[in-house]
Amino acid sequence: MRVLTVDDSRTILAMLHHTLSNAGFEVLQAEDGQKGLDVLASEDVDVVITDINMPVMDGIEFIKHVRASGEHNSLPILILTTETSQDKRDQGRAAGGTGWIVKPFDPEKLISVIHRVVH
Amino acid sequence: MSDLDDFKATYFDECSELLTELEEQFAAIEGGDRTSDRLNAVFRAIHSIKGGGGAFGFSELVAFAHAYETLLDHVRDGRIELNEPVTALCIRANDIVADFVNAAKSGTSLGAGYGADERHQFDALTSGNAPAANSTADGDDESGPPVDEFDIDFVPVMVNLEAVGPVPPAEETAMDDNFAAAPLVADKAQWEIRFAPHSELYARANDPLLLFRELANLGELTVVARLNEIPPLADFEPFGIYCTWDLTLVSPTATAAQIAEVFEFVEGNCDLSIVPLAPRLAAGRAEPSLADLAAIVTPDAAEAPAETISFADLADAVKKDMPKRAPPAAAPAAPVAKLLKPAEIATDPAPSMAAEEDDRRTGPEDRRGAGVQSIRVDLDKVDRVVNMVGELVITQSMLTQQMDDTLRARYQELVRGLEVLAQTTRGLQDAVMAIRAQPVKSVFSRMPRLVRELAQKTGKKIKLETIGEATEIDKTVIEQLSDPLTHMIRNSADHGIESPEKRKSLGKPEIGTIRLSAEQAGGNILIAVEDDGGGINRERVLEVARNKGIVAVDTTPTDEQIDQLIFAPGFSTAETVSDISGRGVGMDVVLSNIKKIGGSVHVKSRTGQGTRMTLRLPLTLAVLDVMLVKVGGSPYVIPLSSIVETIQCSRADFGRAPSGAKVLRVRGEYVQVVDLATRFQMLSDADLGNRFVVLCEAEGGVKIALIVDDIIGQQQVVIKSLEENFESIDGIAGGTILGDGNVALIVDVQGLKATKLHKNAA
Repeated sequence: MRVLTVDDSRTILAMLHHTLSNAGFEVLQAEDGQKGLDVLASEDVDVVITDINMPVMDGIEFIKHVRASGEHNSLPILILTTETSQDKRDQGRAAGGTGWIVKPFDPEKLISVIHRVVH
Repeated sequence: MSDLDDFKATYFDECSELLTELEEQFAAIEGGDRTSDRLNAVFRAIHSIKGGGGAFGFSELVAFAHAYETLLDHVRDGRIELNEPVTALCIRANDIVADFVNAAKSGTSLGAGYGADERHQFDALTSGNAPAANSTADGDDESGPPVDEFDIDFVPVMVNLEAVGPVPPAEETAMDDNFAAAPLVADKAQWEIRFAPHSELYARANDPLLLFRELANLGELTVVARLNEIPPLADFEPFGIYCTWDLTLVSPTATAAQIAEVFEFVEGNCDLSIVPLAPRLAAGRAEPSLADLAAIVTPDAAEAPAETISFADLADAVKKDMPKRAPPAAAPAAPVAKLLKPAEIATDPAPSMAAEEDDRRTGPEDRRGAGVQSIRVDLDKVDRVVNMVGELVITQSMLTQQMDDTLRARYQELVRGLEVLAQTTRGLQDAVMAIRAQPVKSVFSRMPRLVRELAQKTGKKIKLETIGEATEIDKTVIEQLSDPLTHMIRNSADHGIESPEKRKSLGKPEIGTIRLSAEQAGGNILIAVEDDGGGINRERVLEVARNKGIVAVDTTPTDEQIDQLIFAPGFSTAETVSDISGRGVGMDVVLSNIKKIGGSVHVKSRTGQGTRMTLRLPLTLAVLDVMLVKVGGSPYVIPLSSIVETIQCSRADFGRAPSGAKVLRVRGEYVQVVDLATRFQMLSDADLGNRFVVLCEAEGGVKIALIVDDIIGQQQVVIKSLEENFESIDGIAGGTILGDGNVALIVDVQGLKATKLHKNAA
């Protein structure tokens, strides 16, 4: 199973990579939404985990672009956010986000959330 | 290093980059550029610092960053104007964040009250009843509650990275209002769930089947599909929503919160009711049949009565019979297509197994790290490569030396091979050094804060300009640069820049400027600290130097020599010892630090106009381009970077200065002569005729002529420290091992010149 992780924080990318690869996922990385779209254009992935606050293209725009293409209607996208304030999460869902993970994430929880949205 | 330590190292690296970015953004903001891009970048930087800090449980850092982030969020939204006091508050906050990061790094605590003033100001601003942001909250009563008591809207969780196992039962979370009516723990073992998804649910790639799978983890699940909404084929919309479900969950342990959590992601995108029921026997259900399934996928079976089948039966049936009728898995989110997917559940009961299987299918060779552009490598590993490349350089030059003319003539192929080897070795060396090179920005970025603090302490107005931050130098050099630069900037702020009043009276702008610049010049990096202050007070310097016995009373050094005196050990002209600089240990420490990394310091001052101090640093530490010479039968090497030319002289070219020192006349200019044989006590006084002169330029453009017996050639050598392997020798910068295995000493041109001056002076 391939996971695309999109975050501008190297720390978060590294931690996601560690947790996900330990759990048997193949991990792809991108540092912002635009780079995430570039990866999706050339790679098949089973699930996307994206941050909201990013330079160049933020997570909300990224999700909108992914859904707008029509090619990835059934691609689960998880929003990674520290914002417990409902509005960012709602914006992410309105854009087409499948679910969310609250940072700082617990590895077990992360894996279980992924299994909630992928076959 | 454990994984956690690894992540911490990454985090702190990232923090220092983010803090640098904050400095840059605020430099631009202070300059009037308040575009939303900048504010967003500032917000993101603090947000990332907070996010990572939360993962490691740095609660003091997180609490402060959180309060600061809230302020920034208000600023970003335009709810708070980013005026001068708010900008000043933010810049202070950046410094405090930096302090918290450093404390977290060193594992110390700054105490509960640290940054409390700023936090009060954040709170005051964000809660709307803002006092002026520049009003200083004073007194202990203002120091605020301890960090733990600040309310943050999330609790930092320590990450346990080892504990990635099978999917655990979903943990209890706060319930949404929808479910508040249901009891937290059901005293009855059965739940009735009605679930009717809206189209948005599918548009967001949520999948009813996955929800059912998760519910099935909680207990025994019975799924009933209500199909009476499915229209006749003519009216059937492929993406229409026609299917709803009634589910029964039998579980002695499941809680309303657990069930609610299953539907967490689809809340608002479906009609949902969860009702606890009295336990009842699950027996007596109608036997499931393939007909039931056909009813699901056959649109014209809309009238089929809803029948109860168990989840496992459904999956079984599908597995047996349906695959050939299933549309491709990549079909868009149509409810009917979704229904056909349970086959996957039946074959892969454990999600983690599914992952493994996919993994095997993909195979390691298929794993492309798309988007990955850098890797983190332990510096020790790079240094091992650097060392080995160093040895390779020696071996290569040794091989080249072994090739005498006869061999060359006989083995031309070998000669060509050696030439290629030499070229490749050189390329390898450059490549390895490039890995170690880093932009000086990482050091420069610490200086704005220093200048702000100095300006505050001295009451002077100082602005810092930086140029050439992208210039790259060896990482070790960069690490050694921070202290000397700090000293030099302190010196400029303390002794160079005049008070605003004095500057005004002199017709200078009130705000003094310190310019920090970096550039590459040949094989060296030049780093300069320049101020537009009063310049070095030479009379005073000379007076102090004479009083302290650094310079003999009867000598009259040139202006340039006087300027260099500030680097003499124990020299300080500060009339009052301030806590900024001038403790008597100062510029001499700068000089010795810089010399340690193979560099030199030059100072140039103009009275009334300012002082420029330049550090000349080697591009790389490990390898040096040198000229190999012979003195008294032993090999010596002279760094190529300091050689101007080599000359063969006759006795008549030498003369004596009035002081008795030997000088050499080179194109009408008299140059101080150092006979290396005499200097290194191998000969008492050698004949100067028919020997070679290597004309070198020391710092400040001062030339000295080194007399050597023979010039052998140019080559690269790997520097070995004398201090580490033997002991420090005056006039020698280090040692090296030559191709033939002999040890050669590296001549310290700058050191020879300096000792000469002192000798004359004494």
